[in-house]
Amino acid sequence: MNALYSGSLAPFAVLLWPLLIGVVPVVPRWRDTALRLLPLAPLPALAFAMAGAPGAVVFPDLMLGVELAAGPDSALLLGMTALVWAVAGWYGAQTMARGREAGIFTGFWCLTLAGNLGVYLAADIITFYVAFAAVSLAAWFLVVHDRTKAALGAGRVYITLAVLGEAALLTGLMIGAAQAEDLQIATVRAAFTDAPLGPLGVGLLIAGFGIKAGMVPLHVWLPLAHPAAPVAGSAVLSGAIVKAGLIGMLLLLPEATGWRMVLVVLGLLGAFGAALWGLTQRNPKAVLAYSTVSQMGLLLVLVGAGSQGVAYFALHHGMAKGALFLCVGMMMLATSPLQRRAVLGLAGSAVLSVAGLPLTGGALAKLAAKEGVGDMLSLALTLSSVTTTLVLGWFLFRLADLPAKPAQIPQWRGLFAAIAGLAALALALPWLLWPGAVALPRGYPFQPATMLEGLWPMLLGLVALALARRLALPDYPPGDVLVFLPTQKLRPVLQLPVGRQGRLYRKRPVLRLLLMCKLAERWLLHWPIAGSALMGAALAFAAMVWFAV
Amino acid sequence: MTTALPVLLLMTSLLPAGVTFFLAQDSHALRNALQLGGAVLKLALIIWMLFAVADGAAYEAEFPLAPGLVVLLRVDALALLFISLSATLWFLTTIYAIAYFGTKAELSRFFGFFSLCVAATTGLALSGSLISFFIFFELLTLSTWPLVAHKQDKPSLRAARVYFAYALPGSAALLWAIIWLESATGPVLFTEPPDLSGLDPAALRAIFALFIIGVGVKAGLVPLHGWLPAAMAAPAPVSALLHAVAVVKAGAFGVVRVVYDVFGAENMTALGVGVPLAIVASFTIIWGSVRALQQDEIKKRLAFSTVSQVSYIVLGAALASPLAMIGGLVHLIHQGLMKITLFFCAGIFDERAGVKRIDGLNGMGAQMPWTSACFSIGALGMIGLPPLAGFVSKFYLGLGALEAGAPWVLAVLLASTFLNAAYFLPILYRLWFLPLASGAKGDDRAPGLVVPAVVTAAATVGVGMLAASPISPLGWATLIVTQGYGP
Repeated sequence: MNALYSGSLAPFAVLLWPLLIGVVPVVPRWRDTALRLLPLAPLPALAFAMAGAPGAVVFPDLMLGVELAAGPDSALLLGMTALVWAVAGWYGAQTMARGREAGIFTGFWCLTLAGNLGVYLAADIITFYVAFAAVSLAAWFLVVHDRTKAALGAGRVYITLAVLGEAALLTGLMIGAAQAEDLQIATVRAAFTDAPLGPLGVGLLIAGFGIKAGMVPLHVWLPLAHPAAPVAGSAVLSGAIVKAGLIGMLLLLPEATGWRMVLVVLGLLGAFGAALWGLTQRNPKAVLAYSTVSQMGLLLVLVGAGSQGVAYFALHHGMAKGALFLCVGMMMLATSPLQRRAVLGLAGSAVLSVAGLPLTGGALAKLAAKEGVGDMLSLALTLSSVTTTLVLGWFLFRLADLPAKPAQIPQWRGLFAAIAGLAALALALPWLLWPGAVALPRGYPFQPATMLEGLWPMLLGLVALALARRLALPDYPPGDVLVFLPTQKLRPVLQLPVGRQGRLYRKRPVLRLLLMCKLAERWLLHWPIAGSALMGAALAFAAMVWFAV
Repeated sequence: MTTALPVLLLMTSLLPAGVTFFLAQDSHALRNALQLGGAVLKLALIIWMLFAVADGAAYEAEFPLAPGLVVLLRVDALALLFISLSATLWFLTTIYAIAYFGTKAELSRFFGFFSLCVAATTGLALSGSLISFFIFFELLTLSTWPLVAHKQDKPSLRAARVYFAYALPGSAALLWAIIWLESATGPVLFTEPPDLSGLDPAALRAIFALFIIGVGVKAGLVPLHGWLPAAMAAPAPVSALLHAVAVVKAGAFGVVRVVYDVFGAENMTALGVGVPLAIVASFTIIWGSVRALQQDEIKKRLAFSTVSQVSYIVLGAALASPLAMIGGLVHLIHQGLMKITLFFCAGIFDERAGVKRIDGLNGMGAQMPWTSACFSIGALGMIGLPPLAGFVSKFYLGLGALEAGAPWVLAVLLASTFLNAAYFLPILYRLWFLPLASGAKGDDRAPGLVVPAVVTAAATVGVGMLAASPISPLGWATLIVTQGYGP
């Protein structure tokens, strides 16, 4: 027998703690307690990340040999993820209606969280895959929580894409692992270069991770799921969960691959296209969803271009976007004009940072990201500020128009403070991490040329926003490609027949084929046919051989 | 001791069978004690032997029937893999069956044949020669018929008739293959690969095909699977045993024996019959899943799912690379655990809520939480959700396919995953998310039925979670392949 484990148990405890909280609501009496515990679930992970994610551990007997360890990028994102989950968890604990549904929500919230933390801590592909499956599939329960028609529809699209992504990912990982003859992430990553099916494997990985990361055209679940999910759910989906796809690409895509160009192109398409498409939306959460697709597009460009600042950029975006989604929730719960103005102000400052106002965290993230990506992409990054300003400015108008719900919660001020803290960290944390993250001088963000480069696209964006306000912008349902491109006919094919039987069979040729299967089966069951067919086949064989010999 | 052990192992099922036939219908306590006693004794024996065989011990018992006809019982690692599965699940199914039937009619007949069926499976697993394999294979066919026909109503009798119509030509094909092969090579023992040089390739291919037809009927290879969905008319414990341990598994086990111990992986590749077999298995995987999608009855959907899943084992054997073989062998265990869970649950839904069809399951999650949870675990395992049992098999099969240079198998595995998701997820959705139909009610306050399901569901999670440990099914399958068939 092997030793049960070797190494430090800290990374394991980080994952175990949310799972333990997750099983608490199994006992009906404890459901409310479990809901109150939500903000505590990610705290060990936060402490672990702040300590620099020290230590690694190996469990030789668990699954196919679990190894946990975090690299520098992973540690950065682990801390961000834990923070966003903690604040969103508190919001959820304060606002969620109590009852059986809340128990289900709590359990799967914790499972999703454990998966989300797990993708940063896994050092072997099986653990990574398990964690990825947990974050991907369990998040379905966050999407459909409200059980409305829109939520269930979004859930169908979500689960279809998630299952597709899981399958693509597993196949890609198998191709790498078969060549590597090992399960360590680093070995598998290196093996893609030599594997006979390496390019296919990398392509499948990109598809699998791209679905999660909102890569165009696999992003369609995002604008459907975000407005449908409860606010806490959208905050973690957009702030933290989409980053699971990103870390997957960072960990597993080999250095030299032709796919990087594809990533850059699709990323640019998403960065600009999704931001502009966001203007066709009225629901502030849908606008934010398109902004997420756009920001994730930028991140994909950075991954494709091999930028060093990917995790740094993602850290800022995760916190800022998490805060923005929670602002939507606070706006719905605001009761006085003062509270509404406070929320608008908070959202405004986060927006300015994401758009890259000089000296904010977002501006620093952009500066770091531009290092080493070449002039063309650097210009594209600068220009992306125009569309980001446009879409997030549009979001602020939509937010201001949002009607308040009559519901009141006692902890409004406390929650607001927590969300403000999250936004403040988004603005400030990049300053603290600047020396370690980037090879740029300390004073670089203060240089006038740098500041000007950040400022003019924003001004341009504001002008565009003013013009856009005068235009009669169309009001489209969320889900762009799914709603428009292949027309309604393809939709049932894209969706698994979850829920309603027979959805898949709406197309006539499929129906005919299935009917033929059924008839063939019935014919086989007719036993004289079956028996004589068998013996006939055997006799034919014998005769064949007889003549051959 | 070394010769007595295999015989003793066989007797733990055979003796209760013999005695049970003569018990009065209402001597429930004695009958149940006999059944459970035999099962417990067998389990103890197996656990003891597991340790011994892991250290390299082998047990053998030989009975000459006639010159050239030797019944050989032999305990090797592969045999133990199959027996430990059948013994564990037999024990659980016995508990389940006792609770399921209560004091219904004709129980002595039922349990007699039930034990006989398990004895045949044990003998099949222990067989060390082709001829003993055939004898137990036939005993299995015959002892299963009364189980399928147990209810004695019209559908049961029809199902039993269909079963025979398929099984007998299969047996004929198997016997033909054995005679043809042994007439050229002399008696075939699994320990010594037969010398095939006396036969020309065409004849060998024909013999291989006959073998596969013979065992393939039981393994449910398309188009020889027709009897399996029909046999759903049998009571739930029978279906559970049939699908997880006895008949279907005997077929799959037979394929493994034929491929590795009669022909050998190299010969199979040289003859060029591995790829056709892999194609047949792949077609079966897809066909079974597509047909499962079209079923409205729970047990029928599960039956077609069995057709599909058992061919994973055949596929692993046909690919003939070490990792694929590990994947196939471990699926022998994993599929058994998952499928018996599903059938236990299907039986509980039927008994405690009167639900036979999938649309009757709406909202049952809250009414029957234990059963529904076990069903969900079994179903998710079938889909291949990590870290459950099915995922481990699938991962090894995928790696093995790449190792064998057959990447197209990955597409088959993918398609199977989607189809499994498509026919299992709607059931889970109904269980947990849709409202209860008015007037429907059910409960799972029947420990004799629920506990076995909980145990197998827990095992489904356990064998996946602890796959890397040396005592897991995966560890054992790896041992078999590295000891017996590895380079």
